[in-house]
Amino acid sequence: MALRALRACMVCSIVQPQSKFSREGCPNCEEFLELRGNQDSIGEATSQVFEGLITLSDPLGSWVAKWQRLQDYVPGTYAIKVVGVLPDDYVSAAENAGVKYIPRDGSNIEDEA
Amino acid sequence: MSTANFLDQDFPDEEDDDFNPQPEIASDDEGDEKAVANGGDRNGSAQQSRSRSRVPDGDDDDVKDEVEAAVANDEAEEDADGEAEAPAGADEEGEDDEDDEDEEDEDEEDEGLPSRKRRRKQARRNQFIDVEAEVDEEEDEEPEEDDDMPGEEVHPDDLQELPPGADRDDRKHRELDRQRDARQQMDLEEEAARLKERYGRQNRAAGAGSAIVPQRLLLPTQDDPRIWRMRCKPGKEKEVILGLQLRTAERANSREPIRVLSAFERSKGASDPMAGMLYIEARRVDDVVAAMEGITNMFMSFKPFMVPVEEMPDLLKVTKDKQLEPGMYVRIKRGLYQGDLGQVDEVEANGAAVVVRLVPRLDYGLHEDVNAPTTVETLPNGQKRKRVMKVQGPRPPPRLFNESEAKKKHGRYLSKQGGLGNSSWLYQNKEYVDGYLLENFRSNALQTEDVNPTLEEVSRFASTGEDGGDNLDLRQLAATLKTASGNEFLPGDKVEIFRGEQKGVSGISVQVYAEVVKIKVDPGNGSLSGAVIEAPVKELRKLFRDGDHVKVIGGTSYREEVGMVVRTKGDSVTLLTDAEQKEITVFSKDLREATDSGGAAVDSKYDLFDLVQLDAATVGIVVRVDRESLRVLDQSGSARTLLPSNISNKIEKRRNAVATDRDGNEMKHDDMVKEFSGEQKTGRVLHLYRNFLFAQNRERVENTGVWVGRHSNVLVIAAKGGKTQGSGPDLTKMNPALKQNGGAAPMPPPQFRGRDRLIGKTVKIRTGPNKGMLGIVKDATAEEAKVELHAKNKIIPVKKDMLALVDPDTGKVVEGGLHALGMGRLPPAGGAGGMPGRTPAYAQGGRTPAYAMASGGRTPAYAAAGVGSGRTPTWKQDAGGRTPAYAGGQTAYGGGGYGGGTAYGGQTSYGGATSYGGASAWGGGGGQSTWNANSGGRTPAPAGSKTPAYAGGLEAPTPGFSAPTPGGYQDQPTPGGFRDTYKTPGSYQTPGGFPETPGPYSAETPGANDDGPRYD
Repeated sequence: MALRALRACMVCSIVQPQSKFSREGCPNCEEFLELRGNQDSIGEATSQVFEGLITLSDPLGSWVAKWQRLQDYVPGTYAIKVVGVLPDDYVSAAENAGVKYIPRDGSNIEDEA
Repeated sequence: MSTANFLDQDFPDEEDDDFNPQPEIASDDEGDEKAVANGGDRNGSAQQSRSRSRVPDGDDDDVKDEVEAAVANDEAEEDADGEAEAPAGADEEGEDDEDDEDEEDEDEEDEGLPSRKRRRKQARRNQFIDVEAEVDEEEDEEPEEDDDMPGEEVHPDDLQELPPGADRDDRKHRELDRQRDARQQMDLEEEAARLKERYGRQNRAAGAGSAIVPQRLLLPTQDDPRIWRMRCKPGKEKEVILGLQLRTAERANSREPIRVLSAFERSKGASDPMAGMLYIEARRVDDVVAAMEGITNMFMSFKPFMVPVEEMPDLLKVTKDKQLEPGMYVRIKRGLYQGDLGQVDEVEANGAAVVVRLVPRLDYGLHEDVNAPTTVETLPNGQKRKRVMKVQGPRPPPRLFNESEAKKKHGRYLSKQGGLGNSSWLYQNKEYVDGYLLENFRSNALQTEDVNPTLEEVSRFASTGEDGGDNLDLRQLAATLKTASGNEFLPGDKVEIFRGEQKGVSGISVQVYAEVVKIKVDPGNGSLSGAVIEAPVKELRKLFRDGDHVKVIGGTSYREEVGMVVRTKGDSVTLLTDAEQKEITVFSKDLREATDSGGAAVDSKYDLFDLVQLDAATVGIVVRVDRESLRVLDQSGSARTLLPSNISNKIEKRRNAVATDRDGNEMKHDDMVKEFSGEQKTGRVLHLYRNFLFAQNRERVENTGVWVGRHSNVLVIAAKGGKTQGSGPDLTKMNPALKQNGGAAPMPPPQFRGRDRLIGKTVKIRTGPNKGMLGIVKDATAEEAKVELHAKNKIIPVKKDMLALVDPDTGKVVEGGLHALGMGRLPPAGGAGGMPGRTPAYAQGGRTPAYAMASGGRTPAYAAAGVGSGRTPTWKQDAGGRTPAYAGGQTAYGGGGYGGGTAYGGQTSYGGATSYGGASAWGGGGGQSTWNANSGGRTPAPAGSKTPAYAGGLEAPTPGFSAPTPGGYQDQPTPGGFRDTYKTPGSYQTPGGFPETPGPYSAETPGANDDGPRYD
């Protein structure tokens, strides 16, 4: 995986090359983000600005995954911080799918003790 | 939906609804009560009423009956329930399901939607009935009845088993159903709203169940896997992470799977403190080592360090970036514009990409080389690619985009964007608007913290307001700059708390540590007065009041400027600078109270009063040095303000520049001059350039007192060294050559102007504490000379009469030499003072027997020999000692000549004059006059007379003697020559010789003349 052209999903923070998002979509959020083959959506719902790289191989056993709320997601590469604001459309789509959108850019840090 | 379905579902509801909804219904309509009441009363007669209701009539009563019938019917159905259940097995299942859902409010969406709607509707069945009771829809019923045969889905046996009313019940139900549909149509909106509310709530509930667990509940426990820190090569963290991921995938199904749960890194760059750190989550440290062993760039020599449990959350802490907004200033982290200030023009919706406005750095192909060498490189996939070697020119300076320059070489890369009237260009695929480059950056390629733009950087963006005015928005700038740090404040600063609970409180900082400042609150702040409180730096700003004298201590181009505060507005303070009386606006954080006055030490290439070259034909003198500009007075007398870059170079001051003034006198630097005409300005010469001079008079205000004039329009009033110009007639005009010998001229010895001739001469100190020391005269005034001693590296002032001139070559004292030099400058000595004395001396000399013996006899002979005396009465007069100087000269002469032997020797100081006078005396020595007489007719020009005069005296024996005349002073004092000549009366006495050789004289004359000017 080349380090360039990587993008992180703003919902689940998975990091993949843009081409993979385009080809396969987001492995966790495809159901409601519908990124596959949709460059516009990829542009809006994923971000190329992210920090911190996690490789996750055991989402259920890992505390990191629990802390990052990645427990229900597939093993793979995730970002710790994803900069960007998910457009409202996608937020509501996620909510409708029963997924609570947690901004991963650090903006909700105050909400939590 | 089949009718039967509804039927089945309705049963349980109906059971409840029969009685439960009563209060609700009662409140709706009275008719309801009746209906219910009737229902109760007329249970048995349900069939009758039903049969009646089948007849269409609009009567209210009938409808009521119908309602009653329906109610009754419910009960009948209830009875039938048990029997109907069995045959409707397929439907029953659904019913059961829904029953469950009823209890726990269904979760499943697919089924939930319709079923819920239905149930809701059914639950209100009585209500509908009531509504329906008022609207008769009998007509619609009949066809439906035909369409949907109730028996369809009921087994015929069941039908048989059903009581007769059952069939009708079904119809009734369908009727209700239909009514419900109608109702649904009407209340669709309301329904939608209700649904939304309901589903929204449901989803939230679902979300809460899975994701929203406050993070504090997720804190790691002892049971969680631990995190180990390892190190890798800084900058390679991501690669290691990806490498580990690959390895995990590879070994997943092998015998030795990677037992690492996760691994992560937090580095933001090579300079990040987290660079080179990797964190690996695992159960056992062995797993960590096993997993990381052999991954490129891992530093396995560092043992894994187990991160304490309580620190684990901090490793994953995420802080929000500063939100970029249009107008904010940022710095570019990388590339051509690295370090440059940019202004955020636009932020993409997701906040990750930013359009930044920059001052472009373009060279417009200046350093492009068409024939640049190309390299062929092989791509990994085996293809070959030609690449043009980029000639890396120097980094172009930031300048606004200039399309005409771009057109010169790069017309093909340039295209205009948009319509008329906007200056938007596309050049080499980059967009330039209003001269600025608009470029896309990722937000992580921008530095948003600690941008600290300087004012001149910002002014580049501000200078081009749409109205041409200055649109510098200090507020915006302040937002960018508002990164207060503790080092802004120093103890003793007046500060003000400008936000927070203690807003408005002012005081004096007494202590500053980290980001906190301790403030002693000023009186007048209520109960806080005098207290020492702490305030965070963020909430503080320096406080200045109008009239405060402040100094700019940083941040802007106005650094070091000192001025008085004239206005404060929030963060920005306007001050009037001491140096230029100009208003400047700076941030209060960049100011400090100043005790010193005085302006900025301007750092310019050019200093005040430097002579500078403006163009090939123009020079000017710097009369003011400002921060950015220079004020230059050029040779035509006009002053202009220029940028240093407008000046081609500085003209070094020539130390020994000499020019002549209007009268032909020499004029040097620092001489006092006066304009001959015009304003008759006076001034000290600063520069001489071509035929211009720049002089300064400190009493003048204009151009710092500097004025420019022409050489030919000024007179030297005083040369450097205090030699004043005589106010008498300018004798030099009459005969400059006379200055040398003067003998022929019936005038006082020439007075010398210009530099003291002593300067530069080697002298010996004759008396005083430094007696005997040799030195060089560095400077001289009328009385004193500054002598640089040879022995000591020291310049000491010595009275001139304590000096003796020394021949630098021989080292011998030149007798009287000093006076030869100094004479002209010692009017008292050479003038009235000496004269009377000398005259008697002369007379004496004349009478002295010795004199008489030696030359006395000749003195008369002089007169005699000076045949011309008869012809030149003036001469005679001179000879007669009427001109004191002249007479003195003669005396001196006597002294020089004979003094050694005679009593004259005592008159040393005199002697100086004497030796001088000697010349004149000598000149006066008859021969001259004769000569004069001879040549006078032809060349009344005194020059002619002088040399001959010399010659007259000396020429025959020492013709060479006369030639060195320029050095005349030095030479002349060699008394030997004089003596000799004197002693050779023969030559002297051969007046005839003179006439005989007029040729040589005249021939020499030019030579003498040539020398003359050198004096001038």
